[in-house]
Amino acid sequence: MSKDGKNWVGKALPRKEEGRLLRGMGKFADDIKLRDMLYLRFVRSPYAHAKILSVDVSEAEKLPGVVCTLTGAEIAAQTQPFIEIAPEPAGKIRDYPLAVSKVRYQGEPVVAVMAVSAAVADDGAEAVQVEYEALDPVMDAEQALTDASILHEEAGTNRVWNGVFEYGEVEKAFQDAASVVEIDRMHFHRFSSTPLENNVVIGQWDAKDEHIYYWCNNSFPSFAIQFLAAHLNVHIDRIRVQTFDIGGSFGIKITNYPQMAVCALASKKAGGRPIKWVETRSEHMTSSAHGNERTFRDTRVALDKNGVITAITSRHIDDCGAYPRYEPLGCVIWSQVFPGVYRFKNARIGFSQAVTNKCPVGPNRGYSRMQHLWFLERVVDICAHELGIPADEMRLRNYIRPEEFPYTTPNGCVYDSGNYPKMMEVAKNLIGWEGWKKRQAEARKEGRMMGIGIGTTLDSGTNNFGQSQIVNPGAPFSGNSQGANCKLDIYGEVVVAVGSCPQGQGHETTAAQVVADVLNIHPDLISVRTGFDTERNVHTGFSGTYASQFAVSGLSAVHGAAQKLKAEMKRLGAFVLESRQEDLEFGTGQQGPELRSKTNGKSINYWGLANIVNVNSAVLPTEMNDVTLNCRYIWRAPFKVPDTKKKYGNLTMTYASQLHIAVVEIERDTLIPRILDYVAVDDCGTVINPPIVEGQVYGATAHGIGAALLENCVYDAVGNMLTSTFSDYIPITAMNMPNVKYGHVETPSPHSYSGAKGMGEGGAAPIHTISAALQDALFDKGIFIEDSFNNPDSLFRALKGETGKTAELVKVERRVGSKA
Amino acid sequence: MAIKFAGSFEVQRKPEEVYDFLIDPNKFAPLLPDFQGLSVQDAEHFTVRVNVGISYIKGIADVKMHRAEAHRPTRAQYKGQGSVAGGNVSMVAGFDLASAGDGTKVMWEGEAQVFGRLTSVAGGLLEPLGKKQVQKLIDGLQAALQPASGSKS
Repeated sequence: MSKDGKNWVGKALPRKEEGRLLRGMGKFADDIKLRDMLYLRFVRSPYAHAKILSVDVSEAEKLPGVVCTLTGAEIAAQTQPFIEIAPEPAGKIRDYPLAVSKVRYQGEPVVAVMAVSAAVADDGAEAVQVEYEALDPVMDAEQALTDASILHEEAGTNRVWNGVFEYGEVEKAFQDAASVVEIDRMHFHRFSSTPLENNVVIGQWDAKDEHIYYWCNNSFPSFAIQFLAAHLNVHIDRIRVQTFDIGGSFGIKITNYPQMAVCALASKKAGGRPIKWVETRSEHMTSSAHGNERTFRDTRVALDKNGVITAITSRHIDDCGAYPRYEPLGCVIWSQVFPGVYRFKNARIGFSQAVTNKCPVGPNRGYSRMQHLWFLERVVDICAHELGIPADEMRLRNYIRPEEFPYTTPNGCVYDSGNYPKMMEVAKNLIGWEGWKKRQAEARKEGRMMGIGIGTTLDSGTNNFGQSQIVNPGAPFSGNSQGANCKLDIYGEVVVAVGSCPQGQGHETTAAQVVADVLNIHPDLISVRTGFDTERNVHTGFSGTYASQFAVSGLSAVHGAAQKLKAEMKRLGAFVLESRQEDLEFGTGQQGPELRSKTNGKSINYWGLANIVNVNSAVLPTEMNDVTLNCRYIWRAPFKVPDTKKKYGNLTMTYASQLHIAVVEIERDTLIPRILDYVAVDDCGTVINPPIVEGQVYGATAHGIGAALLENCVYDAVGNMLTSTFSDYIPITAMNMPNVKYGHVETPSPHSYSGAKGMGEGGAAPIHTISAALQDALFDKGIFIEDSFNNPDSLFRALKGETGKTAELVKVERRVGSKA
Repeated sequence: MAIKFAGSFEVQRKPEEVYDFLIDPNKFAPLLPDFQGLSVQDAEHFTVRVNVGISYIKGIADVKMHRAEAHRPTRAQYKGQGSVAGGNVSMVAGFDLASAGDGTKVMWEGEAQVFGRLTSVAGGLLEPLGKKQVQKLIDGLQAALQPASGSKS
């Protein structure tokens, strides 16, 4: 409890991490330099799809300073292919970290060259000769599903997965509808995470103790070691992974385990010397992982006479790039937010995923759900425009109502809490809704293209990994868990370790706040270990930092460990202070944090308690032998395995919500969309640390605005990625970021111990919001926004009539005398 | 990224003479812009070493050429593949010959496919640069066959 008598949780405590990070004192994987370390460069495929005819490393190996090379064939001879999550036939895909006989995307690594310096490794990579025979590339997921050109012959098809998610009485809803809106095609584009720090791996296969050591920035290490152990044929306990400060991941660094495999195998070949690979920005753009690209086909929406959506049917085709890897989890993860924030009960969505000759996809902030939420927001806006209902009113008519929470969705997910109308009210007040409406009307009289858009979205946090069984009933995952350890070390310092690997989310601070409240001491008296380390023994199979879950899974684990420690301290304290446990209180005295008796005035500080257990244990009675003051706790989410046939069950624990409003004007001469005003309102339940939450909201907003207007992974017809540098792929920066007004609504979650909800991904609200604003600006010109990426070039094509023609692509059927 | 090129010119040589020139790598290859060297493997295969570069991206490319078609005196076609830092290039170039009065009309067409990071780093420059290099080749060819001939492409 702080001086004002309030809990530390909820206070605007400055981040403990800030000091070292802002002063350049953070420790990142690239800061690690080891004795005899070698540097790795990849030889990458220039082709999107080609047979490898020959690989000649002889000239490279002759270069002074080049120690060895590694090819895909060498790897295939000594490892197992990576585990595939997909069922057969896609489960037959043989995925190795270096291409073996074929390359399947431009930038795919083919050979690794290890040398005494990065520069020599570069020279060595240039000396490697690879002969290819080009094959027809498959650059579109719908084209891929025709199987005209197969990427993975062993699978025999490009289809990774398909399934139908159907709930309610779909046909009846359409029969009863007052109006039916049909939308031919919409498309969610490919973009990347662009963390400040690229992927970095140092791997060492140490023959002396037969361990593999990693110093890296993987953001889901417990998942990585499961893949690596099976691939490398080693016991999982032989793999140690350490992470440090990480310069952002947003999901993308989950997928650097193939490079981790190469570093270990290269080290083995190099006699156990550590191998360091530091990814360049263009490598990151072409070859790390992109976000999923998705096409929405043949969408039909049934509405009643009030504009309330009663049913939706659609076909969704997901492009996962050349290798499924972490996919096809994305085939089901979107269904965590199946109806979005809306009340419709009847829906049928056919979902297919295909491989294409593009960079593999991976989790990317708002992973798999943002595509679906964008789709729903487009549906709502298109229906609103077609039916002449204002966008705000359309939403209010369709939102799940505050009194309906906890709300069970058609597919069995349980939304914990929320108040979307309240969020809209807060957002409208912040932006000055009525004022902008007047200015928009005046602008339109002058022929200016100004639009106001709303995006309401969800950030579902703490997955039930049982949803993987909807994709593959044989998948061995379900539930979710996280571990933490809380101890008094030998000198009585409170030390916390948790199985997360933060990338800027402030875990050290929020974990300290939680423990501070349990022990009634100042958070500065608590040390929270930085980064992740398998040898801390606090990880479970789901440990890492991803999917907006730390506030629930991580802090629940920390809270549990702190409670265990507190209980042990009380037992020990009662013995030492000759007092009853219920008469003890925690606090801070003249000799630091202490435990004191309210009845006899005796007290003992933490050093005293730790001393007895660790170095003065002969004074302890035998009944105290189980007191360690070193308490490990595993938190488990209360999930059940979903019904895999019905695709029904609770897939996520918490649902943070976001409501954004943007005012956008498209410049008449340049067609540059300018954001004139922007509001982001967030509800993540009970707030642990307000500045951290606000910072996450700004970050997610920046990421989404960049994706909506600037960032697009563009490929040409033969699979060249044309946006592999920041000259062409324009990341959002402080220079092109508008001012954002931040608002907050708080509906505590009944599903977490603290009322907090996972947050940080933000549901890609700006993408939905800006699409909505642009459509509002252009709808009277016969244009609807059919793509999630809109820059001056795409707006020019729309205004020329090449895309987004409402008259051709959107059909509305109004029925007289319908039941609805 | 595909770069397509086509055109025609006339020379005051018989089709057989033009054809013989075109299929002789020792005569034809030195006309390639920034030619550095040639090694002939057999009658149908040879490797040309050329300097390539765009701005600061410079290097030497060994382009493996294969004479894919040879129909004396009406048609010859080459296919080639080469690599350079940042990319690979595949090309097809065909020459159709027809009598034109006392001389020969040479109709040429081709396509170069560029693969790799080069397309992203220098994408906007590749097409004009490629066409310029092709024009240099054709100009050199005309000069070698008949210095005074006119070109239209």
